[in-house]
Amino acid sequence: MTELLQNLIDGLGRGSIYALLALGVAVVFGIMHLLNFAHGELITIPGYLTYWAFNQGWNWWTVVPLIIVSAVLSSLLIERVAFSRVRGASDFTLLLTSFGVHFIVAAGFLLYVSASVKPYPRPGWFADTIAVGSLNIEVFDLAVIVVTIIVLAGTTWLLQRTMFGLALRAAASDFDTARLMGVKSDSVIRGAFALSGFLAGIAGVFWIMREGQVTPTAGINPMLQGVLAALIGGLGSLRGAVLGGLVLGLAEVLLRSWLPVGIQNLTTGFVFVMIALLFIFRPGGLLSVPQVERV
Amino acid sequence: MFPNLKRDVGFPVIGSVVLFLALFGGGLIYQTILNNGSAERLVTTMLIDAIIVIGIQIYIGNTGILSFGHIGFGAIAGYVFAVYAISPEEKLKRIPTAPFGLTDTQVSPGLAILIAVVVTLVFAVIVGIGLARSGAQSGSVAATVITLALLFVTHEVAKSWPELTGGNRGGISFAIGESLEGRALILVVLFASMLIARLYGQSRSGRLAIAAREDSLAARAMGVNPLVQQMAALLLSVVIVSVGSSLRVWQIGSILPDRFFFDYAMLTLVMLIVGGRNSVTGAVLGVAVMTGARELARRLGQDGFEVFGLGLDEAPLDWVFRENLNSVVLGLAMVGFMIWRPTGILEDWEFDQWLYRRFGRGTQTEPGRLAELDDVPAATFEASGVSVAFGGFKALTNAGMTAESGEVVGIIGPNGAGKTTFVNVITGMVEPTDGAFSIDGVDLTGSASHELSRSGLVRTFQNLRLFGALTVRENVEIAALVAKEHRTERTLRDVDSLLAEAGLWEHRDRRARELDYGNSRRLELARAAAMAPSFMLLDEPTSGMSDSESLTMIEQVRHMAATVGAGVIVIDHDLGFITGISDRIYVLDQGQVIAEGTPDEVQANARVQAAYLGSAADR
Repeated sequence: MTELLQNLIDGLGRGSIYALLALGVAVVFGIMHLLNFAHGELITIPGYLTYWAFNQGWNWWTVVPLIIVSAVLSSLLIERVAFSRVRGASDFTLLLTSFGVHFIVAAGFLLYVSASVKPYPRPGWFADTIAVGSLNIEVFDLAVIVVTIIVLAGTTWLLQRTMFGLALRAAASDFDTARLMGVKSDSVIRGAFALSGFLAGIAGVFWIMREGQVTPTAGINPMLQGVLAALIGGLGSLRGAVLGGLVLGLAEVLLRSWLPVGIQNLTTGFVFVMIALLFIFRPGGLLSVPQVERV
Repeated sequence: MFPNLKRDVGFPVIGSVVLFLALFGGGLIYQTILNNGSAERLVTTMLIDAIIVIGIQIYIGNTGILSFGHIGFGAIAGYVFAVYAISPEEKLKRIPTAPFGLTDTQVSPGLAILIAVVVTLVFAVIVGIGLARSGAQSGSVAATVITLALLFVTHEVAKSWPELTGGNRGGISFAIGESLEGRALILVVLFASMLIARLYGQSRSGRLAIAAREDSLAARAMGVNPLVQQMAALLLSVVIVSVGSSLRVWQIGSILPDRFFFDYAMLTLVMLIVGGRNSVTGAVLGVAVMTGARELARRLGQDGFEVFGLGLDEAPLDWVFRENLNSVVLGLAMVGFMIWRPTGILEDWEFDQWLYRRFGRGTQTEPGRLAELDDVPAATFEASGVSVAFGGFKALTNAGMTAESGEVVGIIGPNGAGKTTFVNVITGMVEPTDGAFSIDGVDLTGSASHELSRSGLVRTFQNLRLFGALTVRENVEIAALVAKEHRTERTLRDVDSLLAEAGLWEHRDRRARELDYGNSRRLELARAAAMAPSFMLLDEPTSGMSDSESLTMIEQVRHMAATVGAGVIVIDHDLGFITGISDRIYVLDQGQVIAEGTPDEVQANARVQAAYLGSAADR
């Protein structure tokens, strides 16, 4: 029982990060039907800035805002340089563009920094735990969960209660009609990328802390988890993306604890197989948005 | 299997020979000029990459589904090949405890390739079923993520199962001298891959897959089951990728998880995209171009701005010409082509087809007129009690109609009357809450779109759905291919004659997307007619047409229907058009059939006048 609770908390902590990443993927997907394979770069770029900042003598209090701001700016920059030029293109083109952006960023760091691992210190409280009864809760997990709840609440408010949120949701459900109704496509798309960057920035803070190092291809894993979580939840559904993130996190942790010792390092493989099974039996994901075929 | 032997077999053979000689010859020239070992290795690598890229082209090009997973399949094949082909002595060093007694097993490399192909095919079938379940179609996002997941799973397993794979450190390698020497085998496989890819593209399955790539809904309405053709393309492409990957492992002499991962997936995709993913010629061109571009970038990165003896040493360009420049080039090529030319250098230009049009076809004369068919078996369409409710809203209540072959039946009603819902029911897009429809007593309720059209009910679309990248003739040919298989009891009309009947003969080699509106409508009609339908269902065939165009359309519809002996069910809201074309009319209003009869009877009906003109008849 204790072990299960412990795992649930671990899983929620992990899943919260995925949820934030997935939500960022889903916001952009909703607005321009782009499944952003470059979403992980919003962690790679701040990751290298973190490495740089610590070499300059910064500390976590100043690095955290740096991560968030740089993630938002990177997201806007990538939109401006690449995605704005393929707006309205086929899904095939959009997918490959984002994949190419990932590659350019990764290769850029390879070219100008190096292929080797760049380390930086984790925060002092990283490994601390709080004992609650027989449970040992990691402060890190707790922080992730609390921050995620706050951010999700804020995002919900933004989407439900502000003009920007209304414009975004309208554009996500029918872009052309929203434009006819006076929604400015440029600003709503940029807004979506900024929001996506902000969510990636928050997730990035924890991801970067946890990793303790950065490499040119550091973006692949967060991208994959975010994309998969968004897909598990059901592409196009924001609530689904959050749910998908949590499910993915829990599945990873629980599976790792249940698998026999010999094959524990195959956890990721098993998670993928489970996801494949989910798609076979529920092709649209957990909260699938009904797709009406237009004639 | 091949509609036209000369065009679909003869010329692809000639084309493949030329293409093969061009790629290999170009490599030989480069190698001779540089005359060193590294140039020789580069050319060999290019030849192997070409095999794998051509294999991927068969899937991505013909189905339009972006796959990262083919390199994952390559990893499976590569490992299976290595584990079987490497000698027990070498395996003892790396994987002394391999499962299934594989450490002590060794077979000849040829047999090992065969085993690799078979094992990989098993995985391909499983993945293919998953793709089909996810509703994969051209540009499908979910399908692409599934293939991406496959790439990651294979990589993950290769890393985490060192007992079998040797893990990430050492991998497994051939003994020195046992890796593949010489190029004979690679060249044979390369030529075979080119030929197979071209033949597949021209084959029935390939053409149907391409139709579904262009427009999945329209293809299904023409009786194509995209899932079957996608699976065929997947399996064939996996066979070639597996053989190519085995050769790659054999030639390099070892395998590591990272050799078949993101970087290689990226490289092969860029090669395919740059040349033009929809054509084999494009794939080969892309391999050559990207091999050259990367080699150039690599040299520039290593030697600064000094290549082939040309030196500009003190360069303010030092910040560009650095090591690893070649991977940036890959990314830039990908994004650049996506922004400026997403279909690649050659789009879907195919060398052998150009050759055929230029030299192979000879002069063609327009075929003579077709006589109307009068000996077709009579058929009856019947729908009865059809009701559809969306939640509490009843879109259709107890609607019914009949149609006989040889007659034109109109369905008309004001907006919101339930016309579209009725069409959706009898085209298999919406399942009725109640009721049924049938042709000659065979119940078709709940059938999929492609089954309906094979049963003889072929539709057109309100907003034109042609296979845009295909020529006018190919559009009609697709339908004829399906008809040949599934409409055997009917008289099938010759494709060229149908084109001539539709007045499209002079446009036959143009791409469908280049046609003007009237010709597009006529093409859709000709394509439907080529299915040898029992009934043609025309959904608002005059939407967007002027009155005079509508009048010409009446003649054309009646003529095409008579040419293939089909009955016509036509839905429109234009009273003038419907009364002009129909023998009998059903009037829908508020989800119910309120009148039925000849045009004169219907026009005289008070309820119809009320529904249409809002007169005070019953108010």
